[in-house]
Amino acid sequence: MSGHLTLDGVAYPFQSGQTVLEVARENGIKIPALCYHRKTGPAGRCRVCIVEVEGQAGLPTSCNLEAKDGMVVYTNTEAVLEVRRSVVNLLLANGEHNCLSCEQNGRCELQDAAYDLGIEIPAFTIIGPEVEIDDSSEMIVNDRRKCIQCGICVAACNNVVVNEVLGMGQRGFDSRIVCDLDVPMAESTCVQCGECVQLCPVGAFIEKKAIGQGRSWELETVDTTCPYCGVGCQLTLHVDTNANRIVRVTGREVVPNDGMLCVKGRFGYEFPSSPNRLTQPLIRKNGELEPVSWEEALDFTAERIKKIVEEHGPDVFSAFGSGRTTNESNYAISKFTRAVIKTNNVDHCART
Amino acid sequence: MKPDVRAQILDLAATYPTPQAALLSALQMVQEAEGGRLTTEDLSDVARLLDVPLGTVYATVSYYTMLNLEPVGKYHLQLDTNISAKLVGALDLLAHIEQALGISAGETTPDGLFTLSTVEDLGACGTCPVLQVNDRYYEKMTAERFDELLTSLKQGVMPDWKTEGNWGTECNILLARRGKPDSTALAGYVADGGYQALEKALTLSPAEIVQMVKDSGLRGRGGAGFPAGVKWSFLPKGSTKPVYLVCNADEGEPGTFKDRQIMEFDPHLLLEGMAVSGYAVGAKQGYIYIRGEFAWIADILERAVAEAREAGKLGNNILGRGVEFDVRVVRGAGAYVCGEETALIESLEGKRGNPRLRPPYPAASGVFGCPTIVNNVETLACVPYIVLEGAEAFSQIGTPNNTGPKLFGVSGHVNKPGVYEFPLGVPLAKILEAAGGVVGNLKAVIVGGLSTQILTADECRDLTMDYDTCAEYGTGLGSGGIIVMNDTVEIPEIALRTIEFYAHESCGQCTPCRQGSTTIKQMLKRVVDGKGSSEDLENVLQLCKTIMGNTLCPMGDAFSMPIEAMLLKYRAEFDSLLPDGSLVR
Ligand SMILES: Cc1cc2nc3c(=O)[nH]c(=O)nc-3n(C[C@H](O)[C@H](O)[C@H](O)COP(=O)(O)O)c2cc1C
Ligand code: SF4
Ligand code: SF4
Ligand code: SF4
Ligand code: FES
Repeated sequence: MSGHLTLDGVAYPFQSGQTVLEVARENGIKIPALCYHRKTGPAGRCRVCIVEVEGQAGLPTSCNLEAKDGMVVYTNTEAVLEVRRSVVNLLLANGEHNCLSCEQNGRCELQDAAYDLGIEIPAFTIIGPEVEIDDSSEMIVNDRRKCIQCGICVAACNNVVVNEVLGMGQRGFDSRIVCDLDVPMAESTCVQCGECVQLCPVGAFIEKKAIGQGRSWELETVDTTCPYCGVGCQLTLHVDTNANRIVRVTGREVVPNDGMLCVKGRFGYEFPSSPNRLTQPLIRKNGELEPVSWEEALDFTAERIKKIVEEHGPDVFSAFGSGRTTNESNYAISKFTRAVIKTNNVDHCART
Repeated sequence: MKPDVRAQILDLAATYPTPQAALLSALQMVQEAEGGRLTTEDLSDVARLLDVPLGTVYATVSYYTMLNLEPVGKYHLQLDTNISAKLVGALDLLAHIEQALGISAGETTPDGLFTLSTVEDLGACGTCPVLQVNDRYYEKMTAERFDELLTSLKQGVMPDWKTEGNWGTECNILLARRGKPDSTALAGYVADGGYQALEKALTLSPAEIVQMVKDSGLRGRGGAGFPAGVKWSFLPKGSTKPVYLVCNADEGEPGTFKDRQIMEFDPHLLLEGMAVSGYAVGAKQGYIYIRGEFAWIADILERAVAEAREAGKLGNNILGRGVEFDVRVVRGAGAYVCGEETALIESLEGKRGNPRLRPPYPAASGVFGCPTIVNNVETLACVPYIVLEGAEAFSQIGTPNNTGPKLFGVSGHVNKPGVYEFPLGVPLAKILEAAGGVVGNLKAVIVGGLSTQILTADECRDLTMDYDTCAEYGTGLGSGGIIVMNDTVEIPEIALRTIEFYAHESCGQCTPCRQGSTTIKQMLKRVVDGKGSSEDLENVLQLCKTIMGNTLCPMGDAFSMPIEAMLLKYRAEFDSLLPDGSLVR
């Protein structure tokens, strides 16, 4: 059933099957929603996305509230704000929510919610046992002190990327994220894909190498294609322009990867600024590699190929395309090999 | 893993649509075979066998209190310290046991013989203090009896002590066969006219039975009082998926110990109720989800199921009439929330007992995503009477809109704690009289299990016990678990013990319950310890207000309503605990 619903006095159209939260987001109306992500679906856990609906008792959660024609919804009534404030205060009551030093500062959904609700100092304090940080793995730090138990990482690891590592261990106030049978992440079956990092709404899963390398507003974002393989995952580079250095990589939620990346695409981003990187052509002269101009390098290569093929025939030549170059380059390699050199010895790293 | 256990697990897994559904049972089987504890290797084995991710296995095993990741002694002594037990001296008994064993709760004796734990409600409120030793209950425990028990255990013998609880019935429907010798056997049940309702039911159409149950006015006995026949009619019409009937036998609400009376002493009454109901709703498979602590009752049920199947009362050709309905007994593993119907369904599917987000409701999508009806034991046990005697006869018992017999479990400060069957609408005073009268001066009563609002002695003087009247009095009939408190009781302590229970049992999914219960617990602890402030009390009230109605499952209401009531009605007692001068009102 499509139709129109009213959000804070303004009517908006919706498509059949949409939730109130989706309609609100689509139209730029902010409802905090800490446990919802499109990829993991409504979970109903955080309880901050509540709204008031005319003619309906209580305060339903908008993340799983199906939009209905003629529905009249208020997202910010005093009743809503009172409960929402209480819930966010409860989330802040324990753990280590210190935005001063947090990597998520500026892009944290809990921080946003607290800010929007005007919470300066948490209203309650829960004294709990010290919770450990798991920084055993190479790329990812799991700071459980910041975890708000939204369950998104567990759902993502198991149902989105299907790496099936994470679980929510124990229960109640003692609940905590575990890897496999509660082993450190480094000893677990985690493949460091970083989906949990990308989807965690707070700073409980963060990129290890990015720690202290710049806050979100200090970094410039550049959308690009992952250079590693032929899938062509879309990603965003977060760049410290002063240092001309990539600080972190996030996946873009578009075709073909919908935000997911592999360990290389997400964490193998140092090579552009590596001092070992080739920046100009080299030719070995008298046993030493010497920088030369592109012209010289190309002439030299063409001459050698020509000579070898002339002397030994085309079948001594073979070419390997690479997944790290574009489709067009790979096409050119194939065409060059078959039409110019006249051999079928052409292959590609992504063929296996 | 032992090969026979492995084979058993695989056999079980094969009966479910997904192997994961066998996870919880598999963990229980392995634990039992491996001496009461699950090692990392056991968990990996089970994970591989059932093709369940390791993280999910850990999440499941660490959720349930009866699954042990740490070694326990040869005898695991578990003392119920919930409110009903506390009222009759469980904490003194605990001190005695600790002294006798030379360890504190949570510890194991150096010889590895005994582990002592304090646990939440064991569903034995009328016979407490109760001590569970491995899978056996020792009820009406005293210091002397404990010493005797200990001597026996030290000699390697778990004595076979039977405890007879008090009971009485005015209706002779649910407890009709309670006093009979060997009341669990099929022969006796049949001799007393059992399974005639099933005979009759099979001559009727399913729709006719649903109508009868609707007409009878039978309301669910699990707590919410929702009309059973109406619930049944919510099943989607024309669905091609199988329908499941689930009997909720989790009985974990403190103050409640009624369902076990039916299952332990008249299991065929429940099975007949299930067979008739299963036929009515079009289910071929029924499950009885029973709390894991009731191990011996689960055994009784399993024997009854086998007997009934043998006699053609269950199975794929019931009474030779081509009707198919069978029952499986599934044991929980220690989690109060698993009494909540969607958590129960998750647990039945072998997972953590996390309540599900609704909609969809179980009638549309329950066990394995199929239409499912969940009813309480007592609800289902009423069905044979309705079918046999007619809706009219049933609705004449009790009061309008509150029909039929009801089991009331009375615990705490009465002379004869026990279970009493009366028509709904019976005066509370009459129940208390049946329970031998109040010990000392009545101060307060919790009438419907711990999740309902406390009533002062004055408030409950004229109360009659049915759903509507209890609601009028600002409380609920709930499960009919009546906890009686005399004037030796201090309400702030009861409030603290209440919230300790709920904080312990919160599944942790949603913020208000997980964080709120623990916040309230710590604030009330401060108050009870004389270190609180009036701000703490105001905060508790504010939290109760904002938690109520705002949690994923009704558990948030289950603690915010009673805590708020205790605080509002007995504010002076709380205030008197505040340090001098801190009271600013
Ligand atoms: C936290 C919680 C615990 C519950 N525990 C039980 C229980 O132990 N037994 C039970 O029958 N119902 C229990 N219920 C109620 C069930 O969710 C469900 O309403 C009931 O089993 C339906 O059966 P009925 O309609 O026959 O009463 C519980 C509900 C909640 C919220
Ligand atoms: S990095 Fe990927 S595989 Fe590892 S825990 Fe996170 S989501 Fe799972
Ligand atoms: S680690 Fe992050 S994503 Fe995972 S439950 Fe905690 S807050 Fe949610
Ligand atoms: S209210 Fe929330 S946390 Fe509490 S038991 Fe229900 S789902 Fe779990
Ligand atoms: S986003 Fe709706 S409950 Fe968390």
